[in-house]
Amino acid sequence: MTFENSWLFPVIESIHVMGLAAFVGTIVLADLHTLGAIPDTGPLTRWTHGGLAVMLVTGAAMFFSDTSRYLHNPAFHLKLTILLVALAAHFTLRRRGTRFTAILSLVLWSAVVLAARAIADFDV
Amino acid sequence: MFNPLLELARLLQDTSLRLELSQSTWTVPIIGAIHVLAIAWFGGTVVIPDSQLRRFRWIGLAILLLTGFLLFWSQPLRLYYSQFFRAKILLLVLITLAACLPARLARFGILVSLALWAGVILASRGIAYR
Repeated sequence: MTFENSWLFPVIESIHVMGLAAFVGTIVLADLHTLGAIPDTGPLTRWTHGGLAVMLVTGAAMFFSDTSRYLHNPAFHLKLTILLVALAAHFTLRRRGTRFTAILSLVLWSAVVLAARAIADFDV
Repeated sequence: MFNPLLELARLLQDTSLRLELSQSTWTVPIIGAIHVLAIAWFGGTVVIPDSQLRRFRWIGLAILLLTGFLLFWSQPLRLYYSQFFRAKILLLVLITLAACLPARLARFGILVSLALWAGVILASRGIAYR
């Protein structure tokens, strides 16, 4: 599956970013509410899980469009490692809803975003 | 005809900061990373009615505008001539107008701004390629 020379890759990339805004965007709102920094915004889990589903599907599509690009990219390895830790923490520790788990969640997801952005800077 | 955006692009193009930004290895990637991180941190507010998170939303917009302006500064003329950049600016103007909708249309406003922000993201990715 290769489509990096067409309009399809940028479109899938864009949908990945839209999923990011919904997924991490709503996690951040819930974590900041746990920390008392912002008011309660009501239930957001539908946006969180919808965003996660969109990110996993579009992420897999991009990965399989050029597996060797990603497998040789150090930033991708870092991103995937932090992503697995962040997902594990999200579905276990974070349920406790403490200040510590909220800060951990903010740090881990921010690190995933930064490592993901760096993929474009570490192409070999 | 006087074209303020083109004049601004020309003005920034000739500054020493433009040269430094475009020649530095890490400055633009770091500013770009902060720009994307701001999307992740503040993107969720698009689906929340305005009155609840006004301050938080403005912080996000300020970070996006500041980092976005610096990214523009790093290659003003290329962006001025990019069709996707023009589309992005147009969509941002429409979002500003949609934000002025009366409060009784809040739900409609959220749907409109969601669609417009989706367009902004599409246009932004397009800029990276053309």
